[in-house]
Amino acid sequence: MKLAQTVLLGLLTGGVYALLASGLTLVFGVMRIINVAQGALLILAALFTFEIWRRTGLDPLLAIVVTTPLMFGIGWLLYRGLLARVRAAPEAMTVLLTFALAIAIEGFMGLIWRNVFRSVTPSYFASSFHVGGLFLPKGLAAGCVTAVVVLGLLYLALTRTWTGRAIRAAAENVQGAQLVGVSVVDVAAVTFAIGIATTGAGGSILSILQPFFPASHYVWISKLLGIIVLGGMGSLPGAVIGALLLGVAENVTSAYVSPRWSLVVFYVVIMVVLLVRPQGIAGSRLREDVAA
Amino acid sequence: MTPAGAAVAERAGGRSGVPRWLRPAVITAGVLVLVLAPLGFTENTYIQTVLILTLLLVVSSSGWNIISGFAGYVSLGQGAFIGVGAYTVGILSRHTDVSPFVLAPLGGVAAAALAAVLGLVAMRARGHAFVIITIAFLFLMQTLALNLQSITGGSAGITLPLPTWSRDIGELPFYYAMLALAVLSVALAAWIRRSKLGAGLLAIREDEGKATAIGIRTPAYKLIGFVVSAVLIGIAGGIDGYFLTFIDPRGMFDILISVQIVLAALLGGRGTIWGPVLGAFLLQPLSEVVNNYFGTRLGIRLLVFGGLLALVVMLMPAGIIPTIRTAVRRWRERGSVVPFIEQPVRRAKPAAAAPPEEPAVPALAVRVSDREPVAERPPLLEIQGLSKRFGGLTALDGCSFSVREGTITGLIGPNGSGKTTVFNLVTGIVPGAGGQVRFDSRRIDQLRPWERPALGIGRTFQITRLFKQLTVLENVVAPLSHFSLRHLASGGTSGAEAARARELLDLVGLGAFGDRTAGTLSFGQQKLVELAQVLMLEPKLIMLDEPAGGVNPSLIEHLADLIRQLNRDGISFLVVEHNMPLVLQLCDPVVVLAAGRCIAQGPPQAIQRDPEVLGAYLGGDGSATQGLPEGSGAPQGGAPVGRGGPGNPRGVPR
Amino acid sequence: MRKFRQVPAALVTLLLLVAAGCSSNNSGSGGGGTSKPLVIGASLPLSGDFAQPGEASRRGYTIWQDMVNKNGGLLKRQVQLKIVDDASDQNTVVSDYNRLISQDKVNLLLGSFSSLLNIPASAVAERNRMTYVCPSCGSPDMFNRNFKNIFFAQPATAVHQADLFAQWVKSLPADQRPKTAAYPAQDDPFAQPVVNGIKDQLEAAGIKTVYSKVYPADTSNFDTIASDIKNAKPDVIAQGAVFEDGVGLVRSLVKAGYNPKAMFQTSAPSNGDQYSKGVGVANTEGVFYAVSWSPAAKYALNQEFVQAYQAKFGGVPEEDAADAFAAAQVLQAAVQGVGSIDDQSKLSDWLHTHKVDTILGPLSWDQRGAPQQAFILAQWQSGAAQVVLPQAVATSQKIVFPKPDWGSAG
Repeated sequence: MKLAQTVLLGLLTGGVYALLASGLTLVFGVMRIINVAQGALLILAALFTFEIWRRTGLDPLLAIVVTTPLMFGIGWLLYRGLLARVRAAPEAMTVLLTFALAIAIEGFMGLIWRNVFRSVTPSYFASSFHVGGLFLPKGLAAGCVTAVVVLGLLYLALTRTWTGRAIRAAAENVQGAQLVGVSVVDVAAVTFAIGIATTGAGGSILSILQPFFPASHYVWISKLLGIIVLGGMGSLPGAVIGALLLGVAENVTSAYVSPRWSLVVFYVVIMVVLLVRPQGIAGSRLREDVAA
Repeated sequence: MTPAGAAVAERAGGRSGVPRWLRPAVITAGVLVLVLAPLGFTENTYIQTVLILTLLLVVSSSGWNIISGFAGYVSLGQGAFIGVGAYTVGILSRHTDVSPFVLAPLGGVAAAALAAVLGLVAMRARGHAFVIITIAFLFLMQTLALNLQSITGGSAGITLPLPTWSRDIGELPFYYAMLALAVLSVALAAWIRRSKLGAGLLAIREDEGKATAIGIRTPAYKLIGFVVSAVLIGIAGGIDGYFLTFIDPRGMFDILISVQIVLAALLGGRGTIWGPVLGAFLLQPLSEVVNNYFGTRLGIRLLVFGGLLALVVMLMPAGIIPTIRTAVRRWRERGSVVPFIEQPVRRAKPAAAAPPEEPAVPALAVRVSDREPVAERPPLLEIQGLSKRFGGLTALDGCSFSVREGTITGLIGPNGSGKTTVFNLVTGIVPGAGGQVRFDSRRIDQLRPWERPALGIGRTFQITRLFKQLTVLENVVAPLSHFSLRHLASGGTSGAEAARARELLDLVGLGAFGDRTAGTLSFGQQKLVELAQVLMLEPKLIMLDEPAGGVNPSLIEHLADLIRQLNRDGISFLVVEHNMPLVLQLCDPVVVLAAGRCIAQGPPQAIQRDPEVLGAYLGGDGSATQGLPEGSGAPQGGAPVGRGGPGNPRGVPR
Repeated sequence: MRKFRQVPAALVTLLLLVAAGCSSNNSGSGGGGTSKPLVIGASLPLSGDFAQPGEASRRGYTIWQDMVNKNGGLLKRQVQLKIVDDASDQNTVVSDYNRLISQDKVNLLLGSFSSLLNIPASAVAERNRMTYVCPSCGSPDMFNRNFKNIFFAQPATAVHQADLFAQWVKSLPADQRPKTAAYPAQDDPFAQPVVNGIKDQLEAAGIKTVYSKVYPADTSNFDTIASDIKNAKPDVIAQGAVFEDGVGLVRSLVKAGYNPKAMFQTSAPSNGDQYSKGVGVANTEGVFYAVSWSPAAKYALNQEFVQAYQAKFGGVPEEDAADAFAAAQVLQAAVQGVGSIDDQSKLSDWLHTHKVDTILGPLSWDQRGAPQQAFILAQWQSGAAQVVLPQAVATSQKIVFPKPDWGSAG
């Protein structure tokens, strides 16, 4: 029973993680940018959701309709204003830039919302469905379902719309894409914006699951990086698999070893996977010269 | 001008008319100021504290600079070594009575050991992957410090006893210890920069694959660089722990410390010696100012650091010092006329005088007089059944041929026939998948890439791969002939190797360009520099990948002369080319590849007429009318006009 | 051109030193001009992980300052607080106190929030032989360094904070007494020792430990932990919480549908509205906590403190604010007791040998600086926090036990 409950919680959480990680992996896959600020943007979206809920009482899962476009706009501005300037720079510099962004966003959030824990507490946040001897927290279940729906929409958008195809084309072959009329710079901005838009939905869901405050983003980015590294950076299905696996692993470690070691799972995954099989489960191998 | 270039300029001494003693004098004055200053402020422990933290940042940033500035492996986890040093001292002083000052060097040892372990594995990752790994490493260290409560005290931390000296001395002992470490760090960085180790690290940063092709044993270099970058930080961490009297996981492994380290070096000038120092002296006081005047405004500190880092990365990624240098240089050169440089198409004459002094001539060979016929010479390079697939694409499919000693062998074939892949497999830059490569009767396909140049194989690239930010001279001294710690410690751009490099540059006709940044040379000139690079290692076989591609005709002549002359001196060549006239006049024999296999070998005239060769180029049944043109000057693989007639049978040498 | 590299570094250093030298000359406060304000320096975590309690502490200090100045000041001088932000960072807190002492030359010091910060900060004070009264430094590691000038302004150190709760549990009649207990604790140098203290006492009384795990400080998802605890079926849950984790575990226990017979948490439940809003008022019923202060306690100046806080900041004060106020009171008592501030060791000696009446009750210390009193045991009843033990200061005569199921307020 304990195992079943633990795994169940892990899968539900993993479903939400999948949505949170999808934006990160999409941005990497298309633009080879690791957006270390994804965690901070998640918290920002969660704070927006909190504000909306506090002022209007709008249910956070419905607030996704507001936060997603909002974060899309922010993402687009961030790309145009900041990241586009470092397109030619070495990869490590881009990581530094997104890291700087993460810190700056954390500072901004601290200024506006102060460094206190917040959480959104709609009526169902502390109740559960009871099935058999297991409990499914309602907030988590609703969040997971929402995450799956949004992921599905994202997938459809990428595969069925022209923009989505343009994005995937630009990811595969920049010059080829340009030759067929894809404006790569615009596509890059849109891709990045979509990646950030997922934090809108993700942040809204997050707001009901756990309390958060500005410095929480380190925990989140560690988890998300672990997930996309395991799943394969750039692969959306990989992110889902990685999220489910790590959601379960995290919970199992917490229950059977100790909560102290559950985050270590992510760090170890990052280090081991990047060294042993850099492309993760479902990523593609990049052609690079032999380094060692 | 690059930071490296300016370093070379200084070493050349007084080129800009500034006296040579000025630089050491200013440095000494600066150090003296730092030594004497606190004595005027013994009561003001605040200033001492700020300076101690600044010097800690100097040590950390200088260390970071070695692996991240020189070698280009950006680490966001360098602050972990401060924690490691501090914890080592903390844990040991819990169990012994020794003064933490004495224990501090052990902190350095611990940091070095950890860096060695991490380096052994993490160095296989590149670019962003490495940064992510260092971040994960930092967080992991923090968690370990938290969870291993019995050793580290967990979240309660370790409290060290108060210092035993009189209150009047204040924090001075910490200050001087940190100052000594700071001076040491900068000196170490400067020394490494000048040594072969430093040259190799810079080469790794510029183009790691190319570095392996010139003999640089990249894993060892990176490991040494990483360990050296951590050692002094570990010692400084031990002292920092004692200074705080309290060591705990949050404070010691805080990622913001690592961010500050990176920011200091980036701000001052990544890859320079004094950049980290300048950056530290700007950043720490800035941090204090922000705390003092805005501290009560939540989040301002984070905004400032984040914003500053973002600005530096976007607008001034090179840092202050290189930016100022560039600006000053531009200002000095404003309005000046760009000098016309005579194209160095000197004929063999000056070079012909070189052989006696020129150590580039391999010990083997040369006897021009008793040259055997081609067919009877022993094979120098043998390729047997080489195969390689890239995903669904078969690049090589059982390719076999050999290059005989003393020849200039041509390797031709239509695009996509696998020529460059052959090169890549021979030099080891791409792992093979079947078949054998033998060089000098010895099997080499299992060796690491950097082990092969020492055997006598040199290789140039189709698109030149010089280290564009370094000077021409630095490029030519970069190749490593043998790996030993002593050799690594020896001077890079000074000494015997530099002299030899200059001779080689003279040989190829670029002697006047030694101090120019390699990236500013023309394509053809870069090819010549690459050749000089290759010659540094005294090769027996030089593989040239399209030497004439993209080069103007007079320079092609010069190249051909050079090749012939070197060949007369005993060096064998394997030349990939599309320029048929060049191939026909230069190479004998010629090997033809098509679809990953060798389809013909023989003297150039025979190859010209071989129907299979024509078929490979033109497609169809090879019944085209003419053979390959002889002097019609259509370079770059333009469609050759076929000529009929059966050529010599395939594979029969003359 | 080459000079550019060295000159900036040297120049900046020189400028810095000169500027510091000038400013330190200017900010010197001389001896005892009675019209000059009495400057008290403190560094608090106003940003970072401890921002919430740090801000509460600041408010506590501020209320005290207002009250003292309204009553004529201290030693007839107006009190001026100089509070700086250490961003919950140890390096910063060290340099803050160094600056306050040697550059700003403050007359007196008050402590920061959290043992993590106070341990290094107090070393600076001790090195400079200044009295250091801190509102929250209950970790045992504060007191094992033989410092002479540190004083913890709460009734007891961490290990003894929950003594009254443990005693109450042991005092229950055998048929009602809990048989099993769970001890989840945050990895914090304060929270963990409290729970360990309870565990030692209850285990000695024969209550079996069925769960005892530590979770990292940044844990925010407690569903798995709650599920784990549910599986162990403890009668009593004693959690070493700081704040958010206390709220989080309650929520997760509600979701898991597990109802222990008794629930004890450190710190979290003492945060008034924040706690009840966080867990839901209906879920607060019966939750025990040990607290250094109660707004209803009838100690001297307590009601004035509560009213002044209400007027200035609105709402009921947090425990951390009250602790800060009390710390300032301790310092005030020492200064008034000695009559001058010239020799801080006299202040410390006075504190070692006297009892001080504060809004937390009377406080006194052993020679290590550890306080000797006991914490109050409080419990949420009907949506309000009540003191239940000791009887002398109890505001409610009943103790809710067993704890009703989650969601049913009494």
